[in-house]
Amino acid sequence: MSSLLRGEEMCLAQLFLQSGSSYDCISELGELGLVEFRDLNPSVNAFQRKHVNEIKKCEEMERILGYLLREVKRADISLPEGDVNPVAPLPKHVMAIMEQLQRLEVELGEVTRNKEKLQRNLLELTEYTHMLRISRNFVQKSSEREPLQVQYEEFPFLEKDTMMDYSSMQRLGARLGFISGLVKRTKIGAFERMLWRVCKGYTILSYAEVDEYLDDPDTREPTKSVVFLISYWGDQIGQKVKKICDCYHCHVYPYPSSNEERNDVVEGLRTRIQDLHTVLHRTEDYLKQVLMKASESVYTWVLQVKKMKAIYYILNLCSFDVTNKCLIAEVWCPVDDIPTLRRALEEGSRKSGATVPSFVNRIPTNDTPPTLIKTNKLTSGFQNIVDAYGVGSYREVNPAPFTIITFPFLFAVMFGDLGHGVIMALFALWMVLYENNRKLKNTRNEIWNTFFEGRYIILLMGLFSIYTGLIYNDCFSKSLNIFGSGWNVSAMFRAEVWKNGDISGNRLLTLDPNVTGVFNGPYPLGIDPIWNLATNRLTFLNSYKMKMSVILGVIHMSFGVILSTYNHLHFRKKHNLYLVFLPELLFLLCLFGYLVFMIIYKWLVFTAKDSRHAPSILIHFINMFLMQGDAVQPLYPGQTGLQVFLVVIAVLSVPVLLLGKPVYLYWLRHGNHRPGLYRGYERVRRNSEEELYLMRAQDMEEGSSHSDLSTSGERQTEEFDFADELLHQAIHTIEYCLGCVSNTASYLRLWALSLAHAQLSEVLWAMVMRVALRMDTRLGVLFLVPVFGLFAVLTVTILLVMEGLSAFLHALRLHWVEFQNKFYSGTGVKFCPFAFSLLPSSFEQHGLL
Amino acid sequence: MTELSFNVDHGYLEGLVRGLKAGILTRSDYHNLAQCDTLEDIKLHLQCTDYGKMLSSSEEDLTVSLVDSKLRENLVTEFSCLRSNALPPLSTFLDYITYSYMIDNVVMLITGALKQRDVAELLPRCHPLGAFDQMAAVGIARTPTELYSAILVDTPLAQFFQDAVSESNLDEMEAEILRNKLFKAYLESFHSFCKNMGGATKDIMCPVLEFEADRRAFIITVNSFGTDLSRADRIALYPSCGNLYPEGLRLLGRAEDHGQVKEVADCYPAYKIIFDDPEPGSGFKTLEDRFFEQEVKLNTLAFLQQFHFGVFYSYIKLKEQENRNIVWIAECVTQRQKSKIHNYIPIFQGTEQ
Repeated sequence: MSSLLRGEEMCLAQLFLQSGSSYDCISELGELGLVEFRDLNPSVNAFQRKHVNEIKKCEEMERILGYLLREVKRADISLPEGDVNPVAPLPKHVMAIMEQLQRLEVELGEVTRNKEKLQRNLLELTEYTHMLRISRNFVQKSSEREPLQVQYEEFPFLEKDTMMDYSSMQRLGARLGFISGLVKRTKIGAFERMLWRVCKGYTILSYAEVDEYLDDPDTREPTKSVVFLISYWGDQIGQKVKKICDCYHCHVYPYPSSNEERNDVVEGLRTRIQDLHTVLHRTEDYLKQVLMKASESVYTWVLQVKKMKAIYYILNLCSFDVTNKCLIAEVWCPVDDIPTLRRALEEGSRKSGATVPSFVNRIPTNDTPPTLIKTNKLTSGFQNIVDAYGVGSYREVNPAPFTIITFPFLFAVMFGDLGHGVIMALFALWMVLYENNRKLKNTRNEIWNTFFEGRYIILLMGLFSIYTGLIYNDCFSKSLNIFGSGWNVSAMFRAEVWKNGDISGNRLLTLDPNVTGVFNGPYPLGIDPIWNLATNRLTFLNSYKMKMSVILGVIHMSFGVILSTYNHLHFRKKHNLYLVFLPELLFLLCLFGYLVFMIIYKWLVFTAKDSRHAPSILIHFINMFLMQGDAVQPLYPGQTGLQVFLVVIAVLSVPVLLLGKPVYLYWLRHGNHRPGLYRGYERVRRNSEEELYLMRAQDMEEGSSHSDLSTSGERQTEEFDFADELLHQAIHTIEYCLGCVSNTASYLRLWALSLAHAQLSEVLWAMVMRVALRMDTRLGVLFLVPVFGLFAVLTVTILLVMEGLSAFLHALRLHWVEFQNKFYSGTGVKFCPFAFSLLPSSFEQHGLL
Repeated sequence: MTELSFNVDHGYLEGLVRGLKAGILTRSDYHNLAQCDTLEDIKLHLQCTDYGKMLSSSEEDLTVSLVDSKLRENLVTEFSCLRSNALPPLSTFLDYITYSYMIDNVVMLITGALKQRDVAELLPRCHPLGAFDQMAAVGIARTPTELYSAILVDTPLAQFFQDAVSESNLDEMEAEILRNKLFKAYLESFHSFCKNMGGATKDIMCPVLEFEADRRAFIITVNSFGTDLSRADRIALYPSCGNLYPEGLRLLGRAEDHGQVKEVADCYPAYKIIFDDPEPGSGFKTLEDRFFEQEVKLNTLAFLQQFHFGVFYSYIKLKEQENRNIVWIAECVTQRQKSKIHNYIPIFQGTEQ
């Protein structure tokens, strides 16, 4: 409990690690996650450190592992992300892993390359067959036209070309050439245009689409291709055409000159494709085998390499001692865990078989240690709420343990509804019961994770809402009549205040509690259910909830102020107790504490009988400041005197708060300067931490207290600046005094939100459910089903989720601002231990995929 | 008014590019890089930056050219992400950025073809930002007219060809002239595009492009000394959208040697510092480097304003400069020229750490 209240006591320790066993020791510490290492060579660059080569080796292995993982994933083999937790491999075993990995990489690379080559071959052959099949149609088309031309098998329009007719071409030695192949469908337009432009029309392009999708070997995406056939004149143009084909990445295949040749080629291709298919299947099977084998151990390897790399990073933080025989590491460690630390080091030394043991040595320090607050699954959620505001300073009072109760309570005050609370609690209970379910735990849905992490908070919020719902007597905006109402209507008739005619004559009638038998005492728990029928229900509840908010607020704030005494006492600033805490508390209680007193006094003293004479507290409270109590009747004898007294005390505490601490400190420094002041400090430097405390205690008794002695002990060297101190205190005073007013007003949000919640659920009932319930035909039953669905959906989305979030936020604010600023500075640094369990644990997070 | 609706279309990309800009190496990164002894060290250090595992995922041996191509790949990936998400007019703007690389590619392919190099060998050396379908066919053309009418007429470069069409045979000199003519047309077109955009885009981009135009004018003049480029030809190559236009360009056209160029530059305070002789104590920097330095300075200014396209241009240019810096450092490291390693041009120096 004390650890939760203040955090662990930390100490700086030096680890002397024998160079032979340092690796094992660090590995052992990493498994335990006890200590935070400090960088002992901050001036050395990352690549100039000692173990940089080992880290490079780890990175090389990571690269291979990444490659393996990608290949495994591509082959659709599932990766076993088991619960194995292998320890970091010994340096001598690393070589074996490395070799194994490299062998796998080479093998895999070869097989994949082979496979790709085969696939490419296959693609080419398929393309060739497609081309032959389709280009046959081109030729057939032209041969159909052939009879029209008399003796030339060439194309008609060339004849009309006066400049270059066929005979002159023939004389020049030009001959007809064909280029055929495949080009991507998207490029055919540009390809055709360029062909036309460059060759000035001396080519003929015919093309047709392949109806199958062919896999592109580079991108592995199915793409559509187009088979084309270019007929051209002359070699010059042929050259150009070839270049253009290259430029558009066409796959060009030889064009068979005759039909027989074509048939032969097609036949040959068919057998080759069949052969290739068998070879490809074999290769794929083999590849799969290799990958299967690799996938079994790949997860273990990934973890091992991660751990190894982490260890070398830590070893890089250590420095060598003078003899170069052992490594020195500096760590922050919880004092309680030092025996565990010792055992871990012994274990590490034993494992590596070192003759000289590694050992721990506590060293005194002036640095502020990091803050460690050990949490369990219940407290961690609340600790996170506090840490989101600021990590507590070292050994400061931690608000989290109080937050565990106050947070759900303040939430529930705003969210008070029995029905909604039950739904919320059941939802959270389900999460709590199934918290070990891997599917719930390891989901990557961030919104879900937020809820899941806060399942205990939600559970408590739900339970508290059930309680406040009972108090407000609200269940989906309806009241429960469990114990029977304390009001009796028939008594009004018995006393003959009402006649039968009154009921038919008036829309509204008022029950009079002063008539005997009408009011039989208060309802045992919470609000009387009869109020749910009353038209002045809202007025009644508003008055009640407003006063309740102020009372809760003042209690909450006073509690915060009282908690600050723990800090003052722990940090040995006794003067703060009188000069800060006392005036603060007096100011708060004299003004707002008195307000709470008046509220309760009025509740107790004025009954139904004399309620007409009950005074307004507001008027009394205002008069208290104006110091004029004569106009109104006093609540109790001596009220004016007491009020003047309280105001005077409150006003007087302001200058004490403002000037007390700076003046006292100034007096300590200058008026009370004694040579003995620094004596203790000089001595302490040579002694250990424990003695430091004793020394300080002794100094305190001697009366030569170090004014601002905190655990860090650094303040003593600080220059004391009166103006600075005064300014800080002035800011604090202004903030506190104004804060008391505004914070009290801020607690009224408890009332506002609970009112909003109640009204909203009532509106939902009146506008949705009541409409369906009022239909008294048979159809109404059918109508009720969809309407209830609507009601349920709206209840969950608006009232539970939206209203819940808004109440959560307001509760958060009340804790962060109104409660914590009374005592919590939150300027600490979080303790982040070196622990393997904090390394990312799924493949995606490893950054390897 | 355009600011009101800017974020509707381009807000995401502007946010993206500003995020990417945060990944530009800082002074301390350069400081660490300059201390490296091997390329492995550089790789290790780049892992801590936004480049991440860029270099470690390859199996090949680490060489400077590998570093260069990986850096370029990285830039192209980022650019294509921006381009594929862009809506007009931003998409047009981004296309304009690629045109300059296209021009360079075309000229490189022409000169390569003149030297009888194989296209397959040349293609990998083209800048991927300026890649286009018809690229491989550039070598077919014999004259600029043919180049235009047969090959480039489909590409966006066609609009820059108005002045460049000529029947003279393509030789190396002609290719270089073609490049400058294309660049002149390109810069003028880009300049007027930005001017028409108005608003902050105009305020940011026009100075940058004007500087670019002036730089080209200076470089053309300096490079033309000692060649048989006539004065009139030279004047025809100057882009007319810069600060030098018209008086400075007329003077530059008359210049005969480096001294006269310097005299022209002295009339313009911005360029005076570039041409000033370095103080004896400080390290010597080439004219090119000093122009780069000035360019970086102008480009960093783009990030001071919001709701404009200048950030995209500036980011690409700054990233390019960063790539040049890393390659320079890598070269120095491999060639053991530690003394020259600090000649890189830092980006965002001192302003943010």
